[in-house]
Amino acid sequence: MQLILDKLKLRYSRRNTEIVKWKDNTGGKVIGCLPMYFPEEFVHAAGLLPVTLFGDNGPIAHANRHLMTNACGAVRGTFEDLLLGKYDALDGVAAVLICDQVRFFFQVWSLDHEFGFFHQMWRPFNIDQSSRPFLLNELKRLKSALEEFTGNAITPGKLCGSIRLFNETRSLMRALNDIRKTRPGLLKASDLVKAIAAGMIMPKEEYNSILKELITQTRDSDYESGEKPKVMVCGHPCGMPEEEILDLIEEMGAVIVGDDFFTGSRYFSVDVPCSGDPVEAYADFLLNLIPCTTYHYPQNWIGQDRSLSTYGDYVADYVRENGIQGVILLREMYCDPFDLEFVMLKRKLEERNIAHITLNTGHEAGSLETQRTRIQGYLEMLSC
Amino acid sequence: MIVAGVDIGSQTSKAVVLKGDNIYRSALFPTGTDLYAVARKVVENAAQGIGHTFDDIQRIVATGYGRVSVPFAADTMSEITCNAVGAYHFYPDARVIVDIGGQDSKAIKLNDEGKVVNFAMNDKCAAGTGRFLEVAAETLGVSVAELAALSRKSGNRIRISSTCTVFAQTEIVSLIARRTPQEDIAAGLHESIVSRVYGLVNSIGPGDTGRVVMTGGVARNDAIVSLLANAMKREITVPEDPQIVTAFGAALVARSRLGSE
Repeated sequence: MQLILDKLKLRYSRRNTEIVKWKDNTGGKVIGCLPMYFPEEFVHAAGLLPVTLFGDNGPIAHANRHLMTNACGAVRGTFEDLLLGKYDALDGVAAVLICDQVRFFFQVWSLDHEFGFFHQMWRPFNIDQSSRPFLLNELKRLKSALEEFTGNAITPGKLCGSIRLFNETRSLMRALNDIRKTRPGLLKASDLVKAIAAGMIMPKEEYNSILKELITQTRDSDYESGEKPKVMVCGHPCGMPEEEILDLIEEMGAVIVGDDFFTGSRYFSVDVPCSGDPVEAYADFLLNLIPCTTYHYPQNWIGQDRSLSTYGDYVADYVRENGIQGVILLREMYCDPFDLEFVMLKRKLEERNIAHITLNTGHEAGSLETQRTRIQGYLEMLSC
Repeated sequence: MIVAGVDIGSQTSKAVVLKGDNIYRSALFPTGTDLYAVARKVVENAAQGIGHTFDDIQRIVATGYGRVSVPFAADTMSEITCNAVGAYHFYPDARVIVDIGGQDSKAIKLNDEGKVVNFAMNDKCAAGTGRFLEVAAETLGVSVAELAALSRKSGNRIRISSTCTVFAQTEIVSLIARRTPQEDIAAGLHESIVSRVYGLVNSIGPGDTGRVVMTGGVARNDAIVSLLANAMKREITVPEDPQIVTAFGAALVARSRLGSE
């Protein structure tokens, strides 16, 4: 089991050189997709390999010359990689404009680098009756752009085939996550997020077969879970959460049994419907993802049973339904959508009497030792 | 039953050796670079205070930033929990603890049973900590104790950056160059540290009932205590020896764990 996990982690860490290798072996083209929510299936159906772009977590030496100081780690990290030439092998880049920072900086990408394919997909933030037609139109625009770039028609049959393949990936990821929930501690959270992220950079056909083997071996493991406090870790909306923080949480005696990371539940919780027109199905999928800080539901803000935080409701319900003792919020520095939701989320957790702690994370976010004290203090609070 | 708590802080290491229910002695040394050596020395010193040796101690709990470097401790525990246990022991009506140590500050909220229900720690930099005052005092050429006395003489408090110790130091140098009276700078520094700590206390939802206890080395600075009390509009209790409260809590945890074995 650990061998497969290590193999997937290695693929993740070599993600940029893997692109070159794949292109040399297949002669295919690769589109880099910024997190989150990019409709990878459309890229796949056009005969291209979609890979999610995760910025490096190291020091930012070049991007800071271009960026204002309050750019988040994901934006800085990917821009740094762009300037370092790590994305030179890409044939194109694309992004869903999930926040103002991505919208602004992705525009800068196009000024700085010339890509054969460059696509920005708009997306509504407030979800209401106008959202579906808008998304549908954006998906059709993406489809046309990909068809024009490749010369390949994205037929309903091809798109359905890609959706089925990606649904299989999501289903396998859910199966792995279920093992984590039912046998706490068997899978390290830091291993799991990288194993999931590896699926976003590898061809799904190859990844799915590796994941099937991993699930078999994991199920066969004779590991016995001990009695440790179960926690859910939330936040860090689109980047890769710091491995050191996840390890610290588990080293200090807790087990992470749930998350809402992009490299976790956010990616695999919901499938794209396989019936009817696939473009329409995809619009429905994008509107019915698990609640997210980048989506708002104004219709929930009125009336007697109003809820200001659909996301907070989701987290609190998940905690209660899965017998989780507490929530650790990873607050990525300068993430506007998460900051906007943060106070309402905290209020919701307090209303529901759910113990929680906030750890500020991101590039240059402070010493790990102070995080150790916070985490230990919090876990002692849970166990008293 | 002889137990000990050792608190290896960033600046100072403290130990409390507890014998039976009521007899205890404490010791305190600068932490330095050899954490193991200072931990051993501070525990030995406290043990000698009640006529015992290191080997007589039946259980030791380590806390503070150096807690992981104390191999002879049976357990490690965060300073948040130890501080709460210690403060609640001395003041069972304590509901909010403000602890300002060498390089961090904490606000802790307790319930009626002394259980920690919320806490917050300073982020990233030393603003709002003892180190901030030390750097400022060095720059002004006075001792930390003199700084508090100076601040009380000020008739014109000035504003000093509260976001970074190093930048604040630069600001002090600039104020000195402009011949700003020392007492006004000192008062500004105290205001700065208190505004930072007050924000931290507010973030835990301190409520408006129950005793507020201040611990840590900076609790000896009565100017800080008084300014924070004014900001919170509440009285603040300072224990007789505020620096050993966390080590005392660790000793109480050691006693409880030894008793339950």
